[in-house]
Amino acid sequence: MIESQRHSYHLVDPSPWPISGSLGALATTVGGVMYMHSFQGGATLLSLGLLFILYTMFVWWRDVLRESTLEGHHTKVVQLGLRYGFILFIVSEVMFFFAFFWAFFHSSLAPTVEIGGIWPPKGIGVLDPWEIPFLNTLILLSSGAAVTWAHHAILAGKEKRAVYALAATVLLALVFTGFQGMEYYQAPFTISDSIYGSTFFLATGFHGFHVIIGTLFLIICGIRQYLGHLTKEHHVGFEAAAWYWHFVDVVWLFLFVSIYWWGGI
Amino acid sequence: MAISMMRSALLRNSLRTASKPSAPTRRGFSSSAHHDDAYEAAKWEKIAYLGAATCTILAIYNLSKGHPHYETPPEYPYLHIRNKEFPWELAGEDMMPISNIAQNCMVVFFFVFLVCVEINSLSQFQYFKPVLGSVHLFLEIFDA
Repeated sequence: MIESQRHSYHLVDPSPWPISGSLGALATTVGGVMYMHSFQGGATLLSLGLLFILYTMFVWWRDVLRESTLEGHHTKVVQLGLRYGFILFIVSEVMFFFAFFWAFFHSSLAPTVEIGGIWPPKGIGVLDPWEIPFLNTLILLSSGAAVTWAHHAILAGKEKRAVYALAATVLLALVFTGFQGMEYYQAPFTISDSIYGSTFFLATGFHGFHVIIGTLFLIICGIRQYLGHLTKEHHVGFEAAAWYWHFVDVVWLFLFVSIYWWGGI
Repeated sequence: MAISMMRSALLRNSLRTASKPSAPTRRGFSSSAHHDDAYEAAKWEKIAYLGAATCTILAIYNLSKGHPHYETPPEYPYLHIRNKEFPWELAGEDMMPISNIAQNCMVVFFFVFLVCVEINSLSQFQYFKPVLGSVHLFLEIFDA
């Protein structure tokens, strides 16, 4: 830490990443609209924008890791702020998924005459919840147990075991994504098959996307644990990844009970 | 009546336990270091293995069963909705042209991207700060 600092707050240095991330988001939005309306160059701008965002994410988080480890800016006070920030982020994610459940229950509790007045709509063959979806529930719950194992291993100072536990968590996460991919491939309906397909793939697709993000987050934690970045007293990055993973797990439980099980009867 | 009796019994019980001086209140947060983490790690390791083993058996059972065949439904208007071509099905002449201004904007955008990459390589210099800081401290000590 800089020797003249007489407080425990982290006053960040000027950084080009907020503006580069904003430009990336702008290009992604404009490029996405152009692509979906079949404008020339839409695909190019969309790819450029996504590349820009991925690049920004990499360098920004690389800077945060350096501020935490090499520069030692993440004091107890800063760690508390990071935790609050991450909790608020998860709350916003809950609201994001709340909207999809709202759309689902709006359409399924009082099915319109246009879809035959029944749920699932007439002509939709649904997936059996007790086959792959139930297996996926167990896989996610097991990976939740594995991430708790990793947490206690970190707290107990067992560095190698924590890496193994994180590897087990990531492995289970990848198996979940694989089964979801298989299920999507074999599904008898698509996103363009009535409001059932739309709500089903919107909700489960965004969940799957969040599982992939959570998996990447856990992989980064595993690498950082291997490199010795995480200690008994200071492992905010891991805690955030574990909270995020439990959040993804809970969303799946709601998806399983309401969309796969109740919505398929 | 039954509910009120139950409530008073519950209240009595809670008062009895609360009055005991030998009952310390413990908060079981996962982040608190009061319990043995090595024990907890071993316990959760077993639970994770048990879960993974169950998943493996269930996966083998599910995959060996084969997937069901669905009948093709009648052509209801709400199924298989297609209102326009997919963007990847169109090419060249079929696509909407864009103005030169928009094309130039994309070139400028790419230039900004390159500038950001350049700023990034320059920003590596901030890691000389601890070195400069210690030089500064050294000079200060000498001055005093």
